[in-house]
Amino acid sequence: MTDEIRFEHISMEFPGVLANDDISLSIRNGEVFALVGENGAGKSTLMNILYGINTPTAGSLYVRGEKVTEFSPKAAIDRGIGMVHQHFMLVPSFTVAQNIVLGREPKAANVLFDNKKAEQLTRELVAEYGLEVDPSAEVRDISVGLQQRVEILKTLYRGADILILDEPTAVLTPQETDELFEVIRRIVREKQMTVIIITHKLYEVMAISDRVGVMRQGRLIGVKNTCDVTERELASMMVGRPVLFDQLEKTGEPGDVAIEVDDLYVSDNRGLPAVRGVSLSVKQGEVLGIAAIEGNGQSELLEAITGMRKANRGTVKICGRDATGKTPGEIRAMGLSHVPEDRLSTGVDRAASVADNLLTGRHKEKRFNLFGFHQRRSSVERYAEELYEKFDIRGAGIRTEVGSMSGGNMQKVVVAREFSFDTPVLIISQPTRGVDVGAMEFFHTRIIEKRNAGAAILLSSADLDEVFRLSDRIITLYEGRITGEFRADAITKEQIGLYMTGTGEGAKA
Amino acid sequence: MKNVLAWIRRHVNLGYIAAVAVSIAAALLIDAVILLAAGHNPVAAYRELIVYPFSTAAHFGNMLEYAMVLCLCGLACVVGSRVGIFNVGGEGQLLLGGLVAAFVGSRMSGMSLWIVIPCAALAAMATGGLYAFIPGVLKVKLKVNEVITTIMLNSVAAFVCSFFATSVWKNTRFNEGIDVSEFRFATLIPGSKLSTAIIGSALITFFVWYILQKTSKGYEMRLIGDNPRFARFAGLKTDRIVIAAMVVSGMMCGLCGMFRVYGAEKAFISTRVSNEYYFEGLMVAMIAQYQPIPTIVISIIFAILKSGAMGMQSVGVTIQIYWVMQATVIFCMAAQSGVMTAIRKAGERRAAQRDVAARKEGGAAHE
Amino acid sequence: MNNSGPSFWTVASSTLHMMLSSATPVALAALGGLLTEHAGIMNIGMDGMILMGAFVAAAVAAAIGSAILGVLGAILFGIVVGLFFALFTVKLKSDEFIIGCALNTLALGLTGYFARAWFGVKGISSEAYFSKLAIPLVKDVPFVGNVFSGHSVFVYLTWLLVVVMWLFVYRTPTGFWIRAAGESPETLRTAGKNPERMKWIASILCGVFCGLAGAYLSLGNLNGTFVEGMSDSRGYIAFACVIFSAANPAKAYLAALMFGFFDALGGQLQGVIRSDLPFAYLTKAIPYVITVVMMVYVVVRAQRKRTRMAKQQFKNLG
Repeated sequence: MTDEIRFEHISMEFPGVLANDDISLSIRNGEVFALVGENGAGKSTLMNILYGINTPTAGSLYVRGEKVTEFSPKAAIDRGIGMVHQHFMLVPSFTVAQNIVLGREPKAANVLFDNKKAEQLTRELVAEYGLEVDPSAEVRDISVGLQQRVEILKTLYRGADILILDEPTAVLTPQETDELFEVIRRIVREKQMTVIIITHKLYEVMAISDRVGVMRQGRLIGVKNTCDVTERELASMMVGRPVLFDQLEKTGEPGDVAIEVDDLYVSDNRGLPAVRGVSLSVKQGEVLGIAAIEGNGQSELLEAITGMRKANRGTVKICGRDATGKTPGEIRAMGLSHVPEDRLSTGVDRAASVADNLLTGRHKEKRFNLFGFHQRRSSVERYAEELYEKFDIRGAGIRTEVGSMSGGNMQKVVVAREFSFDTPVLIISQPTRGVDVGAMEFFHTRIIEKRNAGAAILLSSADLDEVFRLSDRIITLYEGRITGEFRADAITKEQIGLYMTGTGEGAKA
Repeated sequence: MKNVLAWIRRHVNLGYIAAVAVSIAAALLIDAVILLAAGHNPVAAYRELIVYPFSTAAHFGNMLEYAMVLCLCGLACVVGSRVGIFNVGGEGQLLLGGLVAAFVGSRMSGMSLWIVIPCAALAAMATGGLYAFIPGVLKVKLKVNEVITTIMLNSVAAFVCSFFATSVWKNTRFNEGIDVSEFRFATLIPGSKLSTAIIGSALITFFVWYILQKTSKGYEMRLIGDNPRFARFAGLKTDRIVIAAMVVSGMMCGLCGMFRVYGAEKAFISTRVSNEYYFEGLMVAMIAQYQPIPTIVISIIFAILKSGAMGMQSVGVTIQIYWVMQATVIFCMAAQSGVMTAIRKAGERRAAQRDVAARKEGGAAHE
Repeated sequence: MNNSGPSFWTVASSTLHMMLSSATPVALAALGGLLTEHAGIMNIGMDGMILMGAFVAAAVAAAIGSAILGVLGAILFGIVVGLFFALFTVKLKSDEFIIGCALNTLALGLTGYFARAWFGVKGISSEAYFSKLAIPLVKDVPFVGNVFSGHSVFVYLTWLLVVVMWLFVYRTPTGFWIRAAGESPETLRTAGKNPERMKWIASILCGVFCGLAGAYLSLGNLNGTFVEGMSDSRGYIAFACVIFSAANPAKAYLAALMFGFFDALGGQLQGVIRSDLPFAYLTKAIPYVITVVMMVYVVVRAQRKRTRMAKQQFKNLG
């Protein structure tokens, strides 16, 4: 086998983020190569470079030995590269056939679009690759699985022999996933195609790929032959963090139950079931950690508990009061604060100052308001200064725009605000994503302080070490269901890894 | 002295002021070319432009009256945009408010001024608010594009006003008009349209500025406008506040219509009460980047342009040049900020390349 | 029936005749506006584009003495205006709404100003214009003749253009690309076509169509006269038609007919029912209300469909 694609010292920087850091990688002709890593590890960015959507900031790319000089999708298509994006690139109001031929339409009389020919070409492709789909159906009316087929057919129509699939199974049912893998195997076997598949589901890597590359924080951690590694090894490469911390001192006994979730069902943005019958409870003075690989329902679960998302079925109780179907404001009033998963889109007002961000939620308090409406800036700023000091926020002061701060300091603003409410219940998601090691230690200490003071904490993190370090109990979520529940001191990371990938004993039973 | 400088630096965006100044200067240069093309003398014309608004008390009064209308309309737009809703329907809300206010006045003939004026004002605000409520609710509950619905509702309002003012509610000998001269605001500067309504406008202006910049309500509105998801996350009642802001915006427009009827025109005649004034106010708000204080300042600048355009008639330039000047200012402003964005993007990319290069060198040194 | 008044058939045929002629400029502008709409640009600057078209057509025709060259001038100027519009909305990424507003204001100012400055107080009045065509045979058919004969050539040209545009939008690759550019620009980009270029094309064509609409107003409808502000909100009506028809050329023409019908109806009602009530104002408002109702209906229908599909997928997965 020869090198089909070669990345040489590729770096890609977006304003403030180094998404790809000096990556060198070769992909061979006729193989299925899996690229794994957590969200934000830089997988999609790297593939977008290959497909010409991003122009790398530094480094070079070779396709079949030829150096790529022009980065554009058009040039990539001409080079025989096809990509199925995570968010489908389809025009909803066009038919299947019209989507497939978009950009290279068959013409009648040299001017008009030949719809019959388009549908016929589609049918031929369908027959050739065995990807059953109705050419004349409008794309907005067909299921997600079929839409993905259209995406694949589209690349085949354009004559691609290198196919990039960006998290292709994220939206598929298990049956649809099996069918997709069947198709991938067939095109590799029969058409000698090269397939690159981006994913974070490790069993899929084992099922479909010949080789696998692991990315973390913009770097390529390693490349292995799939037959030489186990899921466990891959998982530790993905999330592992070499730095070892001291043990944190946990004191106190668990009190009353403060968070109670019963048989909860929640759907994701596409209306697909994301949480399927989850029940859990968290006591005061206890941290319950959720260990799950990205996209297994943990985000939707936390959003449903905090009121950001409607549950389809089931109940949520906060401090003994029914919180099901309530607004975030009402649930907060019951005694909950929330450090959200995505601080940029949910946790802060980027355009507002640090002071204004720290104030949110307390802005109606008497001490900040004269006569109940006039905002007392001096009190606000004094209060903000206080938190600024207490949480060791580092920046150009409380009047700076939050949007201009680093990720770690922005997170400190969020944590400072949410922790300052002193509520009995804390929901914490990804507390240290994109945060440097020093700040991480700071957050961990704060979280345990809260626990020791008697708060009930529900924690979700992509970082397994973090979950272990902070939690008293751990539950594993896989495809929206709880696959196991453990005392944190009675299980190892390796064992948890099995439950997270749905292969643990609990899942089998 | 140092404190003063620090205060200015903190509260005044000098870059923005420079941008507006450059845009206006560029627009006036372009307009000079247009004046030349039409065979007029730009120097003489611009002399009139600057002198005329301040030449007599009446001119000055008319200028202020127009600034008041622009400012009210502009601020109405600001109130909406502060929570992320774009009220384009101010024209319709203004007209309907004026119409209903005029109707109320025409039916209360003989009563005390002190009863009629508040009634008319309340009626105008209620009408304007209600007419803004419709697109507000449609936007919040169904996500129907408020820009398009308000554009449609503007036309509906204009026709409805014409219908009533030319027929069933008409009380003048003329083709159109609901006369309310019995109850008008007192004229402040004789011979001009400036009435005591400007005191009301000043109060409202102050009030809006105060609410938006100095209160916790204004704070909440700002959060919603910046990041509605964050606002919801933080527990604010976002839907209710957005609709309320839209209604307030409509009420301001309605009241502005009432001011036009009872202050400047003394009667309701649709084309005279508002000749797309709201759209001009909207452009003012846009140039002011939806901030209250700049809205006030730019309203006055535009009012001077309009008044000055009247003055330019003495050298043969017709009043339409005002629209040309207004539009060219907008285009210069847009071109300027568009070019700025492009420059910034290119700069960011170069900076990224430098960063990576620097990192590489640093890495090599370590190795 | 009132014997003293005109017969029902006379009123009906003249109403429909008026409907056709007043629908024409709106339909022409809407044919352009639906392209920008498809390309994903909210274009409320059509009113200004029409006004400039009307001015240029009348001015050129008056200066050269040829109505055809007047139309040609309006088309060429339409291209310039389309380029100008795209420069701001596509290239500089300015707020489409503000640019549209500013374009309308600019048109109102420039045309009014130059009409006075160049042509004096009387305004522009061109000797050359398009006269109304009496169509042989058709004009003699009772009722039908009154409705369809005696229009300017633009009315019939519009029918042709509706067909051409329908083919262009739904049956040519460029039409597909323009639609994809608005609906899903990244899809088009990954298909190797540039969505920005499609937006430029749509803007330019929109300028051309609005130029034609303007030329009809001054040279076709008003016998060579340019009147200040003569577009009279037709750009907004065209915009409403585009929204109403979901940017389908055939439906947009029907929507324009609807606006034309209510426009004509009011005047007739006033004549027939009560002369002191200006019904025209109320009937003219009706189509706008219908457009808003239509927008709400479209959204509600789409929402229902989405929940239905989600439910189905939920069921499938168990």
